[in-house]
Amino acid sequence: MIEFLGVSKVYPGPVEALRNVTFRIDKGEFVFLVGPSGAGKSTILRLIHREERPSQGMILVNHHPLNKLRRRQVPFLRRQVGMIFQDFRLLPDRTVYDNVAFSLRVQEASPREIRRRVPETLDLVGLGHKAQVFPQHLSGGEQQRVALARALVGRPPILVADEPTGNLDPETAAEVVRILLEVNRRGTTLLMATHAKALVDSVRRRVIALDHGVVVRDDAVGAYDVEA
Amino acid sequence: MRLSTLGFIASEAVQNVRRNPVMAMASITTAAISLLILGVFLLVSVNLNLWTHTVEGQVEVEAFFRPHTPARAEAAAVSAVRRWRGVQAVSFVSRAQVLRSMRREYGSVLTALGNHNPLLDEMNVKVYRPRDVRAAVLRLRRMPAAAHVTYQSRVVERLFQLGSLVRMGGIVFAALLALGALLVIHNAIRVAIFARRREVAIMRLVGATDGLVRGPFLLEGTLLGLAGALVAVIVVGVGYHWAMTVVQRSLPFLPLAPIERVVPDLLEVLGLGVVIGYIGSRLSLRGLMRG
Repeated sequence: MIEFLGVSKVYPGPVEALRNVTFRIDKGEFVFLVGPSGAGKSTILRLIHREERPSQGMILVNHHPLNKLRRRQVPFLRRQVGMIFQDFRLLPDRTVYDNVAFSLRVQEASPREIRRRVPETLDLVGLGHKAQVFPQHLSGGEQQRVALARALVGRPPILVADEPTGNLDPETAAEVVRILLEVNRRGTTLLMATHAKALVDSVRRRVIALDHGVVVRDDAVGAYDVEA
Repeated sequence: MRLSTLGFIASEAVQNVRRNPVMAMASITTAAISLLILGVFLLVSVNLNLWTHTVEGQVEVEAFFRPHTPARAEAAAVSAVRRWRGVQAVSFVSRAQVLRSMRREYGSVLTALGNHNPLLDEMNVKVYRPRDVRAAVLRLRRMPAAAHVTYQSRVVERLFQLGSLVRMGGIVFAALLALGALLVIHNAIRVAIFARRREVAIMRLVGATDGLVRGPFLLEGTLLGLAGALVAVIVVGVGYHWAMTVVQRSLPFLPLAPIERVVPDLLEVLGLGVVIGYIGSRLSLRGLMRG
């Protein structure tokens, strides 16, 4: 589903963000990407979303090599890869419903599809009753769930999450992860970059650890830190 | 593209205008002023052309025969010209007739001439259509019997010159103003892009095509240009209608182009507004698409 083959990324400076990174994530997996700040976690997510291009190596998403992807094909890749962030990135002047529907409108879905899928997805994240509320009247956890609904409403087979619980208290973070696990159970491949040690340790899924742009650990059922 | 997608682009464009009413007003006003001036110049030019044609249509071409041309040759020339295509009427005026009429008009001034008549026989040629005047003049000049051919060329040519001067001046002046309008719209769209940078980022994030990201801004710029042009066309159209009424009342002999004749020019102005708006916004989007 997602494959990195000898991927390096050097930013102007030069700053080496990734060095010869190789891993493969299969369909339906739930993978944590851990490591200290600056380890290269966000760079990996940005590369999958084609916001950046690798300096070296090859990336395959859904068997498509991203290196060969033309500019005009990028939007269609992004429809296959939902993305959520630590800072939610919601539109403050639109209701919860409109924030989620915005994604489908942009993807040129029919009005009927929008009317059907938005409430469905809001129910999945437990916000069906807040459809007409504006984001500023929601808690952090609820805002992240709206962002999650926006990322999922187009039914992407892959979801990448960049520190989605970074701004949330432990209880709310656990709730968001619970929803992510449910989404994964329904078949979505999930890659989540995080610093939340307790969550990673409690969920017990595959863990890819990065340090200074290098994969230092890839455990099929791992913890945040190296287990003795 | 789906109809609902077009609806999405339109609603986003309208929201942009609503969020930045001051910028929108500035764009519309600048576009309206420049296009209004262009419209006025175009209408003046249309009317100058009309007057040129009217004057040209009224002129008679006068061809003077060479001295001592036999009367039979003169008569043959007159009947030959009568057969020319486009010629409505030809009248022959002998030099004696001309002198007599001049004597009636100027009286004693011409007594010094005595019995001497320095004038030439002439024929006056009238054509059906104004555009045939020049052709008739050229053909008459080529006739061996013709010594000199004249028509009210100076008036016609001056009107022509004035017409092209007004047109050129108008185009140059309006082009400068249109450039100003284009830059204001360009700026308005840049402001709109900045104000909506969050939406743009999210649109890209969730897989919007370049066309969909650009669409609302292009439409917004085009709408601003069109709105400015509409204001200009309405003001010019209403103003022209009013001017026609005033002129017809106070200067009834002065022909003015009817309103239906200036409609194509007003439509051109409308089209130009759309082009200005489109180009202005298109320029703003270059950076956005690179980003």
